[in-house]
Amino acid sequence: MNNRQYSLKVLETSITDEDEFILFFDTNYMLFQDHLISIKGELSERIEKYLVQKDLKYLNNIKLPQGRSRKALEDEFGLGKSPKDSQEYKELEEKLKDEKRENAVNQQIAKAEIAQLTKKLTRNFVVMDTIIRSGREINIDGDLLLLNRVNSGATIKTTGNLIITQVVEGSVRCNGSFMMIAVSPKANIVFNGVEVDNELLTDKLNRIELRDREIFIIPVLKKDTNWAS
Amino acid sequence: MGIVIAVISGKGGVGKTTATANVGLGIALNNKKCIVVDFDIGQRNLDMILGLENRVVYDMVQVMDGEASVKQAVIKSKIDENLNFLAASQTKDKSTLTSEKVKKLIDELKDNYDYVILDSPAGIESGFEHTIEYADKAIVIVNPEVSSIRDADRAIGILDAKSQKVKDGEEVEKYLIVNRISADMVQSGEMLCSEDILDILNIPLLGKVSEDRGVIDASNQGKPIILDNKSDAGQAYARIAGRICGENIPLKDVESVSTGMFKKLAGIFK
Repeated sequence: MNNRQYSLKVLETSITDEDEFILFFDTNYMLFQDHLISIKGELSERIEKYLVQKDLKYLNNIKLPQGRSRKALEDEFGLGKSPKDSQEYKELEEKLKDEKRENAVNQQIAKAEIAQLTKKLTRNFVVMDTIIRSGREINIDGDLLLLNRVNSGATIKTTGNLIITQVVEGSVRCNGSFMMIAVSPKANIVFNGVEVDNELLTDKLNRIELRDREIFIIPVLKKDTNWAS
Repeated sequence: MGIVIAVISGKGGVGKTTATANVGLGIALNNKKCIVVDFDIGQRNLDMILGLENRVVYDMVQVMDGEASVKQAVIKSKIDENLNFLAASQTKDKSTLTSEKVKKLIDELKDNYDYVILDSPAGIESGFEHTIEYADKAIVIVNPEVSSIRDADRAIGILDAKSQKVKDGEEVEKYLIVNRISADMVQSGEMLCSEDILDILNIPLLGKVSEDRGVIDASNQGKPIILDNKSDAGQAYARIAGRICGENIPLKDVESVSTGMFKKLAGIFK
């Protein structure tokens, strides 16, 4: 048997206005292209066609498994009410034990994965000092430290953390847990699938961090004072 | 052994051909043997700007295909005998060029002239790639506007990736000419100043040329503006040609009256 476990991001939605739905996916395609779209309710031919054409993976009216607490399980199976020696309860207890064991195994797997990931970060750390000119696309599987400019029309993509010490005028796609950049108003910054508004990055150097699924933007260097003028 | 200089810009209409004609003539006026080659196959213009339209018998493609010798095809300018010209084909298209043919032609020209100036076509297609392939140096022409700068940036990127010199582990020296500067627009903040452009493109500055009404008339007459030593653009090209020939000519500030920026830019060029 060849098993593989992974989580995926799901966008759960129901359609009331088809035009609104299509407009939403047109504008937010970047963000949701890798999501599984779970649609509740009717699915018209038009929407189906649109989703196929956009190559979006979707499910219709399917209840996806979600993590359940012990209490929820007890409630569902009426544990509180039934006598403890009943056949039903024993079966359930067995089931819960199995689940616990499975959880422990999963935790081990997750730990190993994190350890592997940390190793990967230090191993794939890249330092570059060339100017990234228009038309160039840099793809880094790991962390990147760039000591030069990213010009308009160039793209930087990293799976890990990113630090750029000079001005970014091109686009940046960073999927790490933090990045530190200075941007011009022309730049297009996407951090973990979320487009970061340039107006939030007006400081000379900004740190953008992902903490508990929330994005924080912290100014590192305030704007230069222009003494000449 | 001559030096091969490609004149590139990425975007069209920024003054590449005008610059090629003036730089070429300027080098010739400095008593160096110079040949300008129009690489814009299918859209030749350089012959008109140099006033040699009526004298083209054989073109570059015919030389490459062995239908004519370099000696037969090269036209000597009447303005200065050091200036020579090799026309592009107007009837063929870019697909006739191959790396071997281009190399053979450029090697032969290098043996006979001090400076070989190649006028590249606009864009970054195969014609452009053949122009930069065997270049020793490149002059990048840019206008002070964002689209021209981005296209130039792209062209430099391709030059740095595809030229033979880079493949051999060396570097192609690149120099910037900022063309069509309008001083009052820079002063009022409507136009990018050359400092900003240098920041973005990150290559040394060779010269700054003002917007000059005389350029159009000069092109129509077939007498490059450098011959008019009273015009701003003509003087600018004369200085640029001097710098290419190794003279140490300080940069003139054509963007403002104050000397602050001038000194800074002079510092960058050194």
